[in-house]
Amino acid sequence: MEQTLHNLKNQALAQIISAESLEELKNIRVSYLGRKGQINKVTEELKNLGTDERKALGRLLNDTKQALEDALTNRIQELTHAKRQEWLDPTVPGIEPERGHLHLVTQAIEEISRIFEKIGFTRVRYPEVEWDWFAFESLNMPKEHPARDEWETFFVDAPENKKWGKIVLTPHTSSGQVREMMRLKKPPIRMINIAKCYRRQSDVTHNPMFHQFEGLVVDKGINITHLKGTIDHFAKSFYGPTAISRIRPFHFMFTEPSFEVDFSCIHCNGKGCRFCKSGWHEVGGAGMVQPNVLKAGGIDPKEYSGFAFGWGVERAQLLKPGIELDDIRTLYSTDLRYLKQF
Amino acid sequence: MDILIPDSWLREYLDTKAKPKEIQKYLSLCGPSVERINKGKTGPLYSIEVTTNRVDSASIYGIAREAATILPRFKVPASLINQSFEKITGENTAPLEVKILPKLVNRAIAVVLDIENTQTPSWMKNRLEDVGMRSLGPLVDITNYVMIEIGHPTHIFDYDRVKTNKIIFRESKKGERLTTLDGKTHVLPGNDIVIDDGTGKIIDLPGIMGTENSVVTPETKRVIFFVDNIHSATLRKTSMSLAIRTQSSAVNEKGIDPELGMTAILKGVQLYKKLCNAKVASKVHDIYPTPYKPKKIEVALEFICQRLGIQIPAKEIIEIMESLGFGVNESRVTSHKLLSVEIPSFRSNDISIPEDIVEEVARIYGYHNLPSLTLDGPLPPQQEISPFEFEYKAKLSLKGLGGVEVYTSSLVSQVEIRNSRLKSALKLKNPLGSNSVSLRTSLLPSLVSAVFENTREENPFFLFEMANIYLPRRGDLPEEKMTLAGVFSKNFDYRRAKGIVEAFLKEAKVYKELEQVGTFGYSENEHFLYFEFDTKKLQDSASMSSPYIPTPKYPPQVEDLTLIIQPRTLIGQIIEKIKSSNPHISSVELIDAYENTRTIRTYYQNPEKTLTNSEVEKIRGKILNTAKKFGAKVKD
Repeated sequence: MEQTLHNLKNQALAQIISAESLEELKNIRVSYLGRKGQINKVTEELKNLGTDERKALGRLLNDTKQALEDALTNRIQELTHAKRQEWLDPTVPGIEPERGHLHLVTQAIEEISRIFEKIGFTRVRYPEVEWDWFAFESLNMPKEHPARDEWETFFVDAPENKKWGKIVLTPHTSSGQVREMMRLKKPPIRMINIAKCYRRQSDVTHNPMFHQFEGLVVDKGINITHLKGTIDHFAKSFYGPTAISRIRPFHFMFTEPSFEVDFSCIHCNGKGCRFCKSGWHEVGGAGMVQPNVLKAGGIDPKEYSGFAFGWGVERAQLLKPGIELDDIRTLYSTDLRYLKQF
Repeated sequence: MDILIPDSWLREYLDTKAKPKEIQKYLSLCGPSVERINKGKTGPLYSIEVTTNRVDSASIYGIAREAATILPRFKVPASLINQSFEKITGENTAPLEVKILPKLVNRAIAVVLDIENTQTPSWMKNRLEDVGMRSLGPLVDITNYVMIEIGHPTHIFDYDRVKTNKIIFRESKKGERLTTLDGKTHVLPGNDIVIDDGTGKIIDLPGIMGTENSVVTPETKRVIFFVDNIHSATLRKTSMSLAIRTQSSAVNEKGIDPELGMTAILKGVQLYKKLCNAKVASKVHDIYPTPYKPKKIEVALEFICQRLGIQIPAKEIIEIMESLGFGVNESRVTSHKLLSVEIPSFRSNDISIPEDIVEEVARIYGYHNLPSLTLDGPLPPQQEISPFEFEYKAKLSLKGLGGVEVYTSSLVSQVEIRNSRLKSALKLKNPLGSNSVSLRTSLLPSLVSAVFENTREENPFFLFEMANIYLPRRGDLPEEKMTLAGVFSKNFDYRRAKGIVEAFLKEAKVYKELEQVGTFGYSENEHFLYFEFDTKKLQDSASMSSPYIPTPKYPPQVEDLTLIIQPRTLIGQIIEKIKSSNPHISSVELIDAYENTRTIRTYYQNPEKTLTNSEVEKIRGKILNTAKKFGAKVKD
């Protein structure tokens, strides 16, 4: 019987080696290894043998099966490989798998978070539907103050709270400043707050819903040079090592002094071109935290000082070369032909 | 507030050889931002953004004053030209009585002039046109011209139409009516500042707009030329509630230096004399009950340097402050240098705390001259649980599974709220349009609209979004629930869609049944396949790491069985039952489904050894039993 197996094995191996097609190999497999194949026939005779013999032969049987399987696999590979060598048109277009896409705003938010996390900022989240007190009053903007006109605010149709006032849709991420002071209770504070904001404006440069990122740093001895350093770190990380930033005088109720922040134009490296006109792009506001704001957050302005900045995510992202949108509202299109580009 | 300043007009107050480009650059770095230089009728025209706290620089004179301080810091010689005016003298032939309410009026100045109503000369017309004002004849043009140049609004009445010769400031009563010079009638809310002619008739809404009954006409022979400086908050309230927004009210509500009033009168009289042959017909009535007394702020030198982050010598700080018109006295308290800073009248509204002094020193010193430093010092304690990384990874997983992320508006229409599961939603008081009235309580309607927008797309696709939904709470802010939802296009295969959601859960390391952490199924309304997760709940359900199961040492036995099932049999339940029928069934897969047949592939596996045929036979028996319970039998 042992001999029979040997013969079968050699016979099969010879056939496998000389097989010229996959079809042929399939037939060889069925003929030797199939349920009613020749090897199985030998197996059926095992039950007529004594224990020791059966064990030895069983082992041999398994080895034979394995040897044939290996030979089959090898030959299949050889044949397929040989086929590929026949002739290949390398210019045939690839078939791309269906790719998913992250929204441009998500990509920007992620990049911004990472840039600030690297220098120790903690990302936080505060209400998008907020009390007037956090959105305005705690930021040194009393009721009826003309400075509030700058924020085209949406009001929610809900009863006013005696302490906190009306309910508004946050017109800026600055609403998170005093919330963060209250959360940490005392400095050091190094927060980055990225969130949806809403303003009652819709035109080519405004979408009623947009995103801002707000930085707030409060500690002993924080001064303007720290703000400049932080802004510069962002400019270089976000726009590349040649980008530079500058601050110019401006006015906000919740910072003193207040600044307008500009980044050098990436298209022309600050020389002036059709995108920037002057070599600079305004990205948003910044300033040293007004003492009344610190007080509102329970922090002693005599002991601590801080800086804050708040900029539009969309605006910052659209300043990158390559994305030229005439209308910022296009950013929120749900057309796949737009979405699949990013 | 954006203002327009013609270069040639500016140079009447600013003596400098600086080119317009230089003026733009340096002013923008240290003072008001010069956004553009356009070409006007009179030459270069600056478009300047003046911040609301610096109404003192919203004039030709104000910009010249800033430029005269800033340009020399860049080694560009410049100085302010102070114009001198003739004293106003004339015969006091026209009687006039001016009365004010001291709590509402800071200052009122009036003078009567005999005039000839002539033509506005072209130089004045061109300048006014350059700054965006229409020429309306010299009588009115001069008032506008003076406002632009000096920065204080001025007005005129027809003296002969104010028959009583009286100008009396008073508070309005609720419901009083007046007709402004544009012909519109307004009903006053009450407690507004008005001018009365002494008979109860309102003849002016000061600081906002003149009235029809006192305005000058082509027949006017005598005018009352006057300046009023009134309580800015009261004026703002009136202007807002009547919705009359004029250039004059915009300037007045920000609080103007009353000291400027006299300069405005002097400049105006000079122009009326020159252009309208004016003769002074009354004395100058100047009612100024509490003239400006300079405020003082004490600030430590050390404080200024600390906030700037660099050391600047006291001498330079004092120089800067003085160049801006502040008075400074230096003193020494123990080892600290203290500066006592006296605030000029034109900065009295905007300078009130030491930080304001820091700003003045810093901007003139030049923010560009300060170094940029990296933050040092201790870091705040970490948040216990941050959602951001989990959320981003969830988005990335869906992207990897072929999803396309969208951002849709949180503000939706009433119809969309009705289509949500939660029907009560917060509404806005002042929406922008009917399609954005309410704060959404579900992402589904917006995502369905987004799918509808892509009907041209032929291949199956799915969209997803992660955003807050806003669930109303009585007497409190709404609950903001970060939600992750997705909708599949109509031609998306059910099994593939379900597989994506299942794979997503594995990617998120959530090893729970889908129903325990979210929803997946067809939407009620448009019958779209969609899924929705509360991301917080999802994050709470996620494991730190995938569990490790040792790779089996022995190969499994694999067997395909084709079952014939009864109609409406749930194959998922059969598979579940089969899986749990024996511990040595490591996996059961559905590999084919056609009409009433279901082919399942079973992996028999014992981690300890290779299963024998007879052992497999036994387990198979259990499978067949299970199938039988569901009314299914094996196809031969």
